[in-house]
Amino acid sequence: MSGAEGNKSSHTELSSQVFLDLVDSVIADVASECHRVARLGLDRDLEVVEEELRLSVEARAKVADPSNNLETNTKFVVDIFGQTHPPVASEVFNCMNCGRQIVAGRFAPHLEKCMGKGRKARAKATRSTTAAQNRNSQRSPNPRYSPYANSVNENQLASRSPGVAGEDCTNGTVQENVKGG
Amino acid sequence: KPSVNRPPTPDEDDAPESFEKDEVTLREIINVKLVESGEKENLMELVRDRLVECGWKDEMRIVCREHVKKKGRKDVTVDELIRVITPKGRGRAVEQNPKLHCISCSLMVF
Repeated sequence: MSGAEGNKSSHTELSSQVFLDLVDSVIADVASECHRVARLGLDRDLEVVEEELRLSVEARAKVADPSNNLETNTKFVVDIFGQTHPPVASEVFNCMNCGRQIVAGRFAPHLEKCMGKGRKARAKATRSTTAAQNRNSQRSPNPRYSPYANSVNENQLASRSPGVAGEDCTNGTVQENVKGG
Repeated sequence: KPSVNRPPTPDEDDAPESFEKDEVTLREIINVKLVESGEKENLMELVRDRLVECGWKDEMRIVCREHVKKKGRKDVTVDELIRVITPKGRGRAVEQNPKLHCISCSLMVF
């Protein structure tokens, strides 16, 4: 090593080395700290990840295991409160439309018939309302709840008032009920 | 007044081995001088603070955590962690502190 430039570069070189020695000390400190945290289980996030990993492995094993009797479990699944629910609701109550006693699990299909979604029900409702209207007044609200026309009613419309659409339930008046004034 | 036995002054011949030996010896001398004068403590504190400030320590801790996650926390040793972070640690420290590693001023004491 000779000359001023040599000295400068060696100075820089040397100070780099000194700096790196200091950095090595800090590295050792950081490593020691992290090692301590790891061994003592102080890193909560790490614990959570480990636990979840373990549970997922367990669950996978359970599903893959053919000896597990899975059929018995599907009907009586336990919820988070520990309760089991049968697949069909068994409670009985009174239908608010017709007043009959209905099993809760069968309420939807009952209501379809009861309130007139089906062809027969709607035709039935129209016929009974028509009869009532003829007895009482010429104007009455349309008992039909569905926007879809069915062939029976269309025929009635066509024969009585060809020009009237009469589909809108909210209007109320339907010309078909008027029998020649 | 030197309180430590200085190693013998190396000869003038420029054999490559002795050049490296020079450097190592010089580093040792510097180290000793730094400790003696109390400068090393100051420098250590400076470097430590700086490395925390620039986010270097957090980076190293993340690397450690990743390694621990991979290996499982019960198996890890300190040496292992040191080995894992040293290359990146040195590199990043120099990258983020280009001025700091020119501590020539302190060395001018000699």
